[in-house]
Amino acid sequence: MSIESLKQRQNPDGGWPYRRGASWTEPSAYAVLALLAAGENGAAARGAAWLRAEQRSDGGFPPQPGVQISGWTTALAALLPPDLLGRESHARAIEWLLQSSGKESTWSYRVRAWLLGGSTDSDSGWAWAPNAAAWVGPTALAVVSLQKEAERRTSPRLRERIALGQRFLMDRMCSGGGWNYGNSRVLDEDLRPYPETTGMALAALRGETSPRLAQAVGVAAKFLAECRSADAWNWLRLGLHGHAGLPAECLRTARFESRTTPEAALDLLAANPQSFFGDSHAA
Amino acid sequence: MPHKASGELTRRQFVTGAAAAAGTAALTGCGAPRIAEPSLVSIARAPQYGQEIYQTVRGLLARHGLNVRGRNVLLKPNLVEFEPESSINTNPLLVHAVYEGFRELGANVRIAEGPGHRRNTFDLADAAGYFNVVPQFEDVFVDLNLDDVSRVRPARQVSTLSAWYLPNTALGADLLVSIPKMKTHHWVGATLSAKNLFGLIPGAVYGWPKNPLHWAGIDESIADLHNLFPRQFAIVDGIVGMEGNGPIQGKPKPAGVLVAGRDRMAVDATCCRIMGIDPLKVRYLNLAAGGDAPIQERNIRQDGESIASVATNFALLPQFQHLRLGSGA
Repeated sequence: MSIESLKQRQNPDGGWPYRRGASWTEPSAYAVLALLAAGENGAAARGAAWLRAEQRSDGGFPPQPGVQISGWTTALAALLPPDLLGRESHARAIEWLLQSSGKESTWSYRVRAWLLGGSTDSDSGWAWAPNAAAWVGPTALAVVSLQKEAERRTSPRLRERIALGQRFLMDRMCSGGGWNYGNSRVLDEDLRPYPETTGMALAALRGETSPRLAQAVGVAAKFLAECRSADAWNWLRLGLHGHAGLPAECLRTARFESRTTPEAALDLLAANPQSFFGDSHAA
Repeated sequence: MPHKASGELTRRQFVTGAAAAAGTAALTGCGAPRIAEPSLVSIARAPQYGQEIYQTVRGLLARHGLNVRGRNVLLKPNLVEFEPESSINTNPLLVHAVYEGFRELGANVRIAEGPGHRRNTFDLADAAGYFNVVPQFEDVFVDLNLDDVSRVRPARQVSTLSAWYLPNTALGADLLVSIPKMKTHHWVGATLSAKNLFGLIPGAVYGWPKNPLHWAGIDESIADLHNLFPRQFAIVDGIVGMEGNGPIQGKPKPAGVLVAGRDRMAVDATCCRIMGIDPLKVRYLNLAAGGDAPIQERNIRQDGESIASVATNFALLPQFQHLRLGSGA
């Protein structure tokens, strides 16, 4: 899908639908980033204004304006440049991310887990929605957002939260490399990695190196060669790009039909990773 | 598109729910309760996924006298993984047979699913064989994970969730047809037509997986979803099911049956008995049914094959051995 088609999908209210219908936060955030990368500043500004207007009083963003929940899409809004989203809005979104974690990271849950002999690991990821555990997808997105903020200013608090999130991701890596969507084992059985979550986790761990990460990069490269979906294709490219594992010909090629706005926007962003990460790690 | 006020939908569902509750209350006799009007559940032999399945499904729908002309019918298969050769997903040939069967009855039919783990639903459906089997699949399919939503409140709340965001496509259906795979499940024992309703939950709101429901209680959430969607029919794909560590990592289990009916609880209870599972010990069935009367064998009118003639024990994980029929646990 081209930038022009992305512009045509923009709703009159300034946001984007997943496919058709109401505007949602996720497609809108990715579309704004893709439009910015293409220099389409007018459409991007209208999209950013729509996003800004839906921010909730706690600083978080709902998946859609009618949904009275601040959740995982806060990380996506926070990927936007502060000047575009609005400095105050952006700062509140970052603060919401800094204060959020999976339910299993709460003090009361850890005390209960300790009393029951369970894990009290000091990692800490992010949940999709309130009152739920942390998972690989929302954790990776939150880490990328906070890393982007850390490129703009030095903050020990930011650095510590990013480290906790990355520790969460490393802990959840599957035994053979790559990531399932959550734990790496359930009921004493290894879970297998998924392409899209592997790409997301690698994107959040870009710049990091270790033998285990090298194994994960190998898994991602294999996934890329056998890829069967646009979403996986996009995230694998973004993930591998940060680990110097992306074949050059995969930067530009749109191998799959984009059926949703996020798929279309991420395809454009994966071809121009600097605009997604906005940092010095992106080549 | 503005969001619908929750009141519109809850009122309608409240009326239907109240009618169902009244039916459940109409119990007769002393001792073990008997339901005044037993639910009809049909069991049809279906040894394989072949063309004969279309006629079998046609027969099942006719047996239940569904009047769906001009109505919106939504088919909800169980679509989980990119593996057409496995027994994880509802077989696309069965879904197409049900699709054609309802179209022949004059219904406006769509297919919808919101997979719990994988975000790329269309690619998943493609890999699972749906695009090959269902003509113009993309035109008739709705990704419920990304559908527009409305906030609704269950008339009878069982889980800790007092309100739910649910996809408008599912809420607007005149009849929701659950077409699950007959599988064991590593958290709740068995996954059938009621557990299949988890796929109605929009991932865009609740995530992948839909983890807030786990924290709200899986059994309780199934019960709430069952009550939130009372306009129901179910056809369970037991041609090849899954046993052991289901719903993903189990082993294929040929059972050679389709099980159908208007009452999810009665259909699921019958499937459990076919699988060698005591439905009275499956917690979510008791919660959803509001007691064990609707899932008692004596309160279900069996049709077609008998349970005994098709029963085959599905292997159960050690923690679910107590569910085995006749285990006495």
